[in-house]
Amino acid sequence: MTTRTLAALLLLAAFIAAPLTAPITVNAQTVPDLTGNWEQDVIAIGQWLQSNGISTVHYTVQAAGDPNSVMRMYGIVEAAYRINQVWQQNGINVQIQVDTNWESSFQKQYDNFVTQYELGQNGDFFVNSYIYIATLAADGRLLDITQWVQAYWNNVFSDFYTPLMEAAKYQGKYYGIPQDTEARPLYIRKDVAQCMGWDLTGLDEKVKNGQFTWADVFQKAKEAVEKGCADYGLIHRKGSAHPDLIQFIFAFGGSLYDPNTGKLVVDREAVYKWLATEAAFADAGLLPRNIMDWDWATQIHPTIVGEKKSAGGTGNTLFDIGGTWYWTEWQTKDYYLDPQTGQKRPLTPEEVKNKFYYTLFPAGEPGKQPVTLSQPFMWMIAANAGKDNPNFDNPDFKKAYQELAFLMVVEASDPIINAVHSVISAHVPVRKAASALLKNETFINKLRNLQLPFSQEVMNAIAPIIQKTADPINIEFLANVSYMLEYTHLAPSHPYYSKLADVFKQAVDRVLKGQMTPEQAIQFIESSVNADPDLSGNVEFTGSVPTGWSLLPATQTTTTGTETGTSPTTTTTTTTTAGGGNTALIIGVIVIIIIIIAAYMAVRGKGQA
Amino acid sequence: MKLGHKLSNATFFLLPAIILIAAFYILPLIVTTWISFTPLRDWKISQLTEFVELENYRALYKFVTTHPLGSLVLKTTIVFVVFTLIVNVLGGLLLAIATYVIEERVSLGFRLLWLIPRMTPLAVFGLIWYYFFYGSPQGTLNAFLLKLGLIDQPTFWGTDPNLLPWSAWSIIIFVNGLVGVSYGMIIFYSAFKSLPPELLIAAKVDGASTWQIVRHILIPMARWHLVFVTVWQLLSLVTSYTHLFVLVDWRIVDEWYGTTWALFVFTEAFGTVKNQGLAAAAAVILVIIGSLLGLLTLRIMRFDKITLEPKGDI
Repeated sequence: MTTRTLAALLLLAAFIAAPLTAPITVNAQTVPDLTGNWEQDVIAIGQWLQSNGISTVHYTVQAAGDPNSVMRMYGIVEAAYRINQVWQQNGINVQIQVDTNWESSFQKQYDNFVTQYELGQNGDFFVNSYIYIATLAADGRLLDITQWVQAYWNNVFSDFYTPLMEAAKYQGKYYGIPQDTEARPLYIRKDVAQCMGWDLTGLDEKVKNGQFTWADVFQKAKEAVEKGCADYGLIHRKGSAHPDLIQFIFAFGGSLYDPNTGKLVVDREAVYKWLATEAAFADAGLLPRNIMDWDWATQIHPTIVGEKKSAGGTGNTLFDIGGTWYWTEWQTKDYYLDPQTGQKRPLTPEEVKNKFYYTLFPAGEPGKQPVTLSQPFMWMIAANAGKDNPNFDNPDFKKAYQELAFLMVVEASDPIINAVHSVISAHVPVRKAASALLKNETFINKLRNLQLPFSQEVMNAIAPIIQKTADPINIEFLANVSYMLEYTHLAPSHPYYSKLADVFKQAVDRVLKGQMTPEQAIQFIESSVNADPDLSGNVEFTGSVPTGWSLLPATQTTTTGTETGTSPTTTTTTTTTAGGGNTALIIGVIVIIIIIIAAYMAVRGKGQA
Repeated sequence: MKLGHKLSNATFFLLPAIILIAAFYILPLIVTTWISFTPLRDWKISQLTEFVELENYRALYKFVTTHPLGSLVLKTTIVFVVFTLIVNVLGGLLLAIATYVIEERVSLGFRLLWLIPRMTPLAVFGLIWYYFFYGSPQGTLNAFLLKLGLIDQPTFWGTDPNLLPWSAWSIIIFVNGLVGVSYGMIIFYSAFKSLPPELLIAAKVDGASTWQIVRHILIPMARWHLVFVTVWQLLSLVTSYTHLFVLVDWRIVDEWYGTTWALFVFTEAFGTVKNQGLAAAAAVILVIIGSLLGLLTLRIMRFDKITLEPKGDI
């Protein structure tokens, strides 16, 4: 109701105001096109705006994230400041003003953007996950910046990691610029490896070359548990298959998207191998069956960083499928139960470094490639960017405002801004020049001494965060994992991907719990997709379930024979529970009928009396 | 003339109520029905004027008949509504009788105690049950049973496959019952309180036992309240989803056995894929079923007799 009333009022106001505005006279000179030379373009646009009587340009940036990711908003503020400087130095009397709008949940900020867009109250810049690009671009809510990206390709965008630039595309056109990203390493506990006598030296190279696969991960995990060095072999995320577990599909050589048809893909073979791998871990007791229900703060992280239960800890594991941000999260949250004091506390940077080894997500089986998965954040420009400025309805003015918005994004992608953001928010840089800065000692010293070429406003906002986060161990870690972006995969930016990922989640959860075999789970995925109005027309199935496939060579599976033997029984439980449902239904209906009849008779009896 | 006068008087006094009902009940109903014939998603308002005929209803039919979870949603809805209704009505009645027969000083505190779940904000109430049923040794229920030595392993009560589906259903019925039961209690209690005391005194003088008083005086005298509470609770259970949403979203109960039709409508409209067209179609079906159930219950329980004008022996 409110939105509609507001829309009506806005319309009314526009109607009344329309005759009052003076007719627009556009300076005969046309709006300059972007050339790829940033300073030259900034000056040209500034001059055009000034000659057309504009003295202030107003934008709003709408961004989201954890408190340490504020550069997503201050990057634009800084860019405006720098453009204002250039204009001032060149005698151009125009100013950019930027308003900021921050929200901690990126999903919530997306909801805000979408609902506000219809009323013209959205931000001009929208900084959010790439997953929204497809939906927003398809709905015409994002500006197509392809032409300008091409103009700036050689000077700026060729330096960005290719998979990230690809993620900014929808149907072959650019709708965003990567802002930050992350990788998902496989973490290995050095102390557990030492306990089982496993030398980790050079393992990252073996993983990179595809010589250490998930079959090896299984063997080592089993060994760690059998030797009594760890309570679990493997721990991974809860609640959702996306994004961490989706890596299995890529690691088994599968795909999720067919660029030719624009449809999502369920690759039966890769999905089956993923589910069978999870089942193998769960059946061998290496991975908790109910991991999808675990709690992040009280179970998952404490087990990843903790000591063995028998040693007074919260339990431990050899492997963990995690993310780069875990590295600093372990240093800020009370996950570690110190057996000496009995108190929970964060780890120190040194402790994290001494405890964890990290590699790419290994190949699923020999002959396949190692992977990682990223979910880059993007600078996006709204299709109505510049709307709060005079004469926006005039195409020339609109073009000038939108070109200026793009120039701001180009400046916000400056390597220094990107490198600083990476350090303070524990993200991985999106361009090589920024990654190089993380290995540059001069830069790191300047950063730690707060000697950055930033405006006072931005410096005041980020100085306390820099003091807390700029630790050499953490910066070294970020620099060391940057190479993983060369191997990164992205989940498809498709409007229905999240719905498909939800079906995957249900399948993996039931497989882990033993309610379904991997074969049944594939069946479940197919029938769920086919019955779903959104998915049925947008998903295609490829490949087939491989017969007789096993994560391990046949000789080794016999050791887990007793465990696998339990899965058929649990499957029977599912059938009985479904039967229980039917009984419930019948009992329920009978009970309600009895109650209604009883009430009827009571009331009727009284009425007649 | 006289009739006209009467009418305009009636209109005058009814107008505020009519405006409110039109604005907050009838208009949303019309808008929802309208949306159910459009492809609206992601609140893209321009789609409000595109029509897809019965596409959303067809998709819904396909979901219910062919999706592995379609029939589960129906089953869960029926189990949830029937059993929670029984808890709410019978439980409310029992509590009202209990508070009526005990001393007023004790009774007041007792009634207040039962009102706490209703007064507690959803987030707090949800959090209490989150920790209560949580599957780690720290979960309240697990910690308690472990201490007593009744179990030796902590259990995820609402999601453990060996306990499903009744464990999940029991939890949603229990939590919602706890919220709903106080409503019946208040209504029945006030009904008992408004009974003429002579009736009870006479019965006691005649030597009637407490059970006889309850059976032959209290319940018959409160039968219209019973009708009212049953219908009211039935309709609100069919459409309620908030507590279920929290329990499912926080994975305290298995989503397959915790999703009722109303929650399905909510997640479809506001979840990851915001398909408001389909959600509206599901909501329209819910309104139709709710209205039919309401009418049926009123008919069976002879609601028309409450609204009859007094026969006038006075």
